[in-house]
Amino acid sequence: MGFERFVFYVFAVILVYAAARVITVRNPVHAVLHLVLAFFTCAGLWLLLEAEFLAITLVLVYVGAVMVLFLFVVMMLDINVSPLREGFVKYLPMGFVVALLIFAEMFMVLGVKNFGAQAVAIPERHGADYSNTREIGNVLYTDYVYPFEIASVILLVAIIAAIALTMRRRPDTRSQDPVAQVAVRREDRVRLVKMKTEEKSG
Amino acid sequence: MAEFWEFIREPFFITLWIVAILVPLLLGVAYLTYAERKIIGYMQVRIGPNRVGPRGWLQPIADALKLLMKEIIVPQNSNRFLFLIAPMISIAPALAAWAVMPFTDRLVLANIDASLLYILALTSMGVYGVIIAGWASNSKYAFLGAMRSAAQIVAYEIAMGFALVGVLIAGGSLNLVDIVQAQQGSLVHWFWLPLFPLFLVYFISGVAETNRAPFDVAEGESEIVAGFHVEYSGMAFAVFFLAEYANMILIAALAALMFLGGWLSPFEGTWFESWFAWVPGIFWLLVKTSLFLFCFLWFRATFPRYRYDQIMRLGWKVFIPITIVWIVVAGGLVVGEVGPWFN
Amino acid sequence: MLENYLPIMIFIAIGIAIGVLPVLAGFVLGPRKPDSEKLSPYECGFEAFEDSRMRFDVRYYLVAILFIIFDLEIAFLFPWAIVLDSIGMFGFIAMMIFLGILVIGFIYEWKKGALEWE
Repeated sequence: MGFERFVFYVFAVILVYAAARVITVRNPVHAVLHLVLAFFTCAGLWLLLEAEFLAITLVLVYVGAVMVLFLFVVMMLDINVSPLREGFVKYLPMGFVVALLIFAEMFMVLGVKNFGAQAVAIPERHGADYSNTREIGNVLYTDYVYPFEIASVILLVAIIAAIALTMRRRPDTRSQDPVAQVAVRREDRVRLVKMKTEEKSG
Repeated sequence: MAEFWEFIREPFFITLWIVAILVPLLLGVAYLTYAERKIIGYMQVRIGPNRVGPRGWLQPIADALKLLMKEIIVPQNSNRFLFLIAPMISIAPALAAWAVMPFTDRLVLANIDASLLYILALTSMGVYGVIIAGWASNSKYAFLGAMRSAAQIVAYEIAMGFALVGVLIAGGSLNLVDIVQAQQGSLVHWFWLPLFPLFLVYFISGVAETNRAPFDVAEGESEIVAGFHVEYSGMAFAVFFLAEYANMILIAALAALMFLGGWLSPFEGTWFESWFAWVPGIFWLLVKTSLFLFCFLWFRATFPRYRYDQIMRLGWKVFIPITIVWIVVAGGLVVGEVGPWFN
Repeated sequence: MLENYLPIMIFIAIGIAIGVLPVLAGFVLGPRKPDSEKLSPYECGFEAFEDSRMRFDVRYYLVAILFIIFDLEIAFLFPWAIVLDSIGMFGFIAMMIFLGILVIGFIYEWKKGALEWE
């Protein structure tokens, strides 16, 4: 137990540090990389809870995909950050109020009363052959099939929205149509003509 | 003292284990570069490196020493910190993925349940090294190479992920040891047969993921010189190189495990089975891995480079539909319990 | 279960060390003679015109967004694939509906030309 607790505190400290750096660091690329670090340590914390599948999926989806998009955006939009920071002090009190509200709400729902050691028994440690992924699979596609199907609809909406927002055909580019290239037949391109050999004149 | 030893003993043995994996792996990388130059040399009717040591056997060591003594140039206006951290970001996941690699059914360092998912998650982090290197270099060539390679890796990672889903359906587990054991029987029980389209998609995606020829537009030496690592020199370059080859070996070993039965003997279920019973399983795994590595080199010697739009077309419009269809087929076979693989 | 992750933690640490040590060794052993020509970004015979970090085609963002969506889909497929044996026909049909809806999205992308690289 001792070592596990030690790992927990190390990860927790790194997580808090990385999350704080995300909003304080000047260079936006550094901010994104700190966010990556935050997700990574968060995955470590989830692992300590034996949520193996979710922890690795967090790395796969958030670190491997979502943050790549973030990096694309901050690297290539070359946003000038300084004007974004101008209102920082002005909005700070407002930000505090919102943060406090959110904290209070979360505390009311997730507080000790509902999720404390009295309300929920401390889960037992599972053995080495415990398969977290299998447990998830056994309920996700049967008991929770309805939310699961809704997830697919949400993803469909995301696909369509992304295309509707960003898809523009540039009229000036020259591109090939491979289907048309492959479908070319000889008759369309070449015409063989039979003709008599010419007499050499003179 | 005894207490301290008690505390340190397990990490100590684990570290020994890791060294026992990494030393052969790094030697493998070194001699893979030698094999590459020799094989491509012979394919092109040359003899390849032959000066350093007998038949050029010491060439990789000479190369490493040379790179070690070279200056590491950090270009001006580059982001110094990110520039130096990029090679590290690309090598760490490439090596850490080997933590869960099984060499035989008992010879595995970290036998976690979700080992395949873990490998997929770590390989998906390889793209960071490329993007950061390209951006931090402050060079147009590096940046273009990084963008190309990022979009390419991303497209083929999806095809690869779908192909892995097929393997999971057939194997019924996320654990690589279980997946290999599910292939027991004979040569036709290995998953290359029931999952043949996925096998091809997986290996070709693997070639594209590692930015190898014919998908090496990210390096494209004739147009953008060396792509994302054009500004890197000396050991910083060597680390990128190491990561690329370590990833190649990883892809080859995974293909051998998932589709060619890993450490299972190819003579299983035939008359010769008992003749070869003395051969250790790890030997078969090595042979199969080398087979795929040879294909990597062979491709490079044979195929002309793809054009970029062709690469994206292949990834999105050919591989993804194929894999989705085959997932449905494989799922149907499992639910319908069609033999000899799925009953 | 957790004891299996200790080797992975150590392995990641050693992996990072293998990234750091050669570069450090290179700095120690290699020469260090910077001059402005050597440090300038690589170009073909002329000075670089501008900062190399330029804006990029919006297409790259689209690819990245589509990648996230498909990655999520894969994450949903993984647990399904390994429990297919035990959840049987019901689970199979559930996933077919899920995949069907996403294939609609895929066909939409295709028809709209979002997968075209021009």
